[in-house]
Amino acid sequence: MDTELDRISSLPGHVLDQILSVLPIRDAVKTSSLSSKWRYKWSHIPHLVFDTQCASITSEDQTTVKNKLVSIIDHVLLLHNGPIYKFKLSHRDLLGVSDIDRWILHLSRGSTKEFVLEIWKGQRYRLPSCLFSFENLIHLELFNCLLKPPSAFKGFRNLKSLHLQHVTLSLEAFENLISRCALLERLTLMNFDGLTHLKINAPNLQFFDVGGVFDDVSFENTLLLTQVTIALYENVKNDQNVCRRSSSKLLSFFVNLPHIRRLKLHNYFLKNLAMSKIPSTLPKSWVDLNYISIHINFNDFEESSVAFCLLKSCPNLQEIEMLGRPEEQAVVKPLTGCWGDDNWKSLFGQLRQVKIAGISGTRSELDCIKFLLSNSPVLEQMTVRPAPNEGGLELVKELLRFRRASILAEVIYMEP
Amino acid sequence: MSEVDMAVIKPEMMKSYIWIQTLDGAIQQVEQEVAMFCPMICQEAIHKGMGSSKNCAVSLPQRVSPAMFSLILDYCRFHQVPGRSNKVSTQFWHFICSLLALHLELLVHRSSRRWNSRGIGQLTLVCSFVKERKSFDEKFVRMDTKRLCELTSAADSLQLKPLVDLTSRALARIIEGKTPEEIREIFHLPDDLTEEEKLEPLKNTTDDPRIRLLNRLYAKKRKELKEREKLKDVEAEEDHVDDRSVDDLLSFINGGEVLLVVSNLDDNYCKVECESLAGLKPYWKQEIFFSDSKGIKTSKNKKKHRKRKDLQKCAPSNEAIETHKKESNTVSSLCHNVGVDQKLKSSLGETLKLQDAADEVFAPTVEFDDVDIDDEIDPALKEEIDREVEDFARILNSDWPERMQELLSLGQERRPTHLSVNGNGALKGHGSMPSFPLSWAEMNIPVWILSQTANGWNNFDQIVIQNRPLSLTPELDETGEIFIHVQRQMFLSSEWHFCRL
Repeated sequence: MDTELDRISSLPGHVLDQILSVLPIRDAVKTSSLSSKWRYKWSHIPHLVFDTQCASITSEDQTTVKNKLVSIIDHVLLLHNGPIYKFKLSHRDLLGVSDIDRWILHLSRGSTKEFVLEIWKGQRYRLPSCLFSFENLIHLELFNCLLKPPSAFKGFRNLKSLHLQHVTLSLEAFENLISRCALLERLTLMNFDGLTHLKINAPNLQFFDVGGVFDDVSFENTLLLTQVTIALYENVKNDQNVCRRSSSKLLSFFVNLPHIRRLKLHNYFLKNLAMSKIPSTLPKSWVDLNYISIHINFNDFEESSVAFCLLKSCPNLQEIEMLGRPEEQAVVKPLTGCWGDDNWKSLFGQLRQVKIAGISGTRSELDCIKFLLSNSPVLEQMTVRPAPNEGGLELVKELLRFRRASILAEVIYMEP
Repeated sequence: MSEVDMAVIKPEMMKSYIWIQTLDGAIQQVEQEVAMFCPMICQEAIHKGMGSSKNCAVSLPQRVSPAMFSLILDYCRFHQVPGRSNKVSTQFWHFICSLLALHLELLVHRSSRRWNSRGIGQLTLVCSFVKERKSFDEKFVRMDTKRLCELTSAADSLQLKPLVDLTSRALARIIEGKTPEEIREIFHLPDDLTEEEKLEPLKNTTDDPRIRLLNRLYAKKRKELKEREKLKDVEAEEDHVDDRSVDDLLSFINGGEVLLVVSNLDDNYCKVECESLAGLKPYWKQEIFFSDSKGIKTSKNKKKHRKRKDLQKCAPSNEAIETHKKESNTVSSLCHNVGVDQKLKSSLGETLKLQDAADEVFAPTVEFDDVDIDDEIDPALKEEIDREVEDFARILNSDWPERMQELLSLGQERRPTHLSVNGNGALKGHGSMPSFPLSWAEMNIPVWILSQTANGWNNFDQIVIQNRPLSLTPELDETGEIFIHVQRQMFLSSEWHFCRL
């Protein structure tokens, strides 16, 4: 056999790092036994990802699994030589063990930029305070953790992306965290404990996604925010005394999000918005908004009014999605009058796509559809999907009748 | 300033060229858009003003060979967006670069206002284009590893990051899941680590001295086998006639050149079959019957088993395999059972059982040595055996599908189990889980596994090991036994099975 040139070992270091980073950690470490040149090449990989595939432990015994995993990570961390930019720990069987504290301490001495920790089982894992001393952190992702930053915590100076899911932290800690991370661009918050009123004060924030149980969301100084998704998972309590307060939530919402482009108000949030004074129109239009998706209970007058007001203020909408959220009500009174306004003369000049789902054919819903159809001169497609066990010929007949402002419009009825 | 120049020039000239000099001295013209796709050429052209004429052609860095350069040009030609405007601005280039890195997010956030207002239509166009790029990319990196490495190197020196990413991923895919030997072979890496160094921290096998020992021995064995193979190539012409005595057979086995196919018939015996390692055709076959119809044997066997256990600890030379039953039917001696022959005639149609030998691992070589063969086999039987062998050889030599058909047609209860193991591994039956050796890399041997479920044998799978080896790495379970995972191929089921060594 002629001696072929060993080409791969002579690739530049950063390219080899890249190749090894793409490999699962197991294969990357195994390359240490390839040849003398490769012995320590793996130890420079900047990404360490320990997930369920990295150590397929077949035993059923929790302790063995844990010990094995701990030993693997200990070994790798100890043998690793070089900066660790990304560290991800997400093994299915890893409980919130105290070894994680040790690893976080080790990482805090370096310059980790991305840290992902997912505790799949067990209690919320309480993060050690050394996590809050990660100076170079750019992306932080936590699942099933408890955060308690020390009082001297000055925020993550470089943090751009924060993703918290199933976390517990106090309101104050949260506010401090957000306001002190000045570069924060993306914030995702799902299923949290301990937060009731979310105040988001983040001048660089561009993407915000929250889903959970809370009372209120308010924005402050968030002029760059372009994508917002808010989902309130629990029904708002119908407290008549609290609502009808002087200031309108919708207005305050609107004022702080002037450049928003994509908005999603899911589950019960629209109802939350509706529990305050509802203006008939907003002072200025949301000119940048081109996509809106709301969960709405068409049979509720307040919600429909809020939605109507919302839609009227977005002249440049390109896509609308409205998902019906039927609620059990004592009386379903036929509602009319929310979806028509003779004073409103403008049109949805850019609206091309509309999706309506979960409806049952009540008057209010049909009014809404009629409103949209007759005010969208360039509409291309409207998809209507009734709720399960609803729909039928009556609905279709009504849909057929509506006047359409757009000659290109297709109204597609989909099976429930 | 040069951007403005370019912006002005563009509408006037339909196509402009850049002069580039490749390593072999040849100077060629390359379309401007295509060449400018490489940041390094772009820099040279814009900042240093090179490439505008034949005299000051841009010279390529050393790592870019002419062949690679033409490949890279193909890549650039495909990936540059067909010019939608005549104005070439830096914003436009930013757009192209981010697009081509398949980061559509960048498109939304960072692209200029001009693009934002174009709306969704443009995005969908981009998306479909992106999909085309993906398939182009996949086809593009289908080349041998040597060229792939060269391409990576060339792309890196031209600072063409998307291509570097693409080729790195392709190289990583090649490395992933393979054993070190395979990787060494693919990339022609010198095997210059000592055994101890090789055993240093690999993730799963760090502490246990037994595993280290095993690894060492496996490696040694593999080396020996390779050498023997080389020798065998020289002797390949010799004719192999199947009329050796069983003694010869056994010594041949002990020589470590055989592959044993072990199949178990029912309680009284099991059948052992051998194939060679060299080459991929059956070198020679012989069936050896094991049975345990005599009590004496049992006790002898038991002793042997104990011995085997000890021996295994110090020298799992793994040449031959046996299966071994717990309690009732221990198997180790050769014995003849006429009833067996009858059954064997319908060779593949026997009921098979795997042994359940939870604690014992075999040192088969030693075992064979101990077996009293001579008093068990008589000439008549030998003839029978030879006939069976030929029969079996014919069957095994036939095509897979036909074999499958045969097997499948033979009803549920009577299905064969053939466990083939190469010289490197020890086979041990364990309840419903057969076991396998560590590396099959050299083999192209079909393996049938019959798994025993609670209802008896009603399932059988097959692993067809092609030249692409399985990646098997030993691991420890809670009792300290060594486990490996074997993936069953699709024939009838596809689940993970755990096999004990």
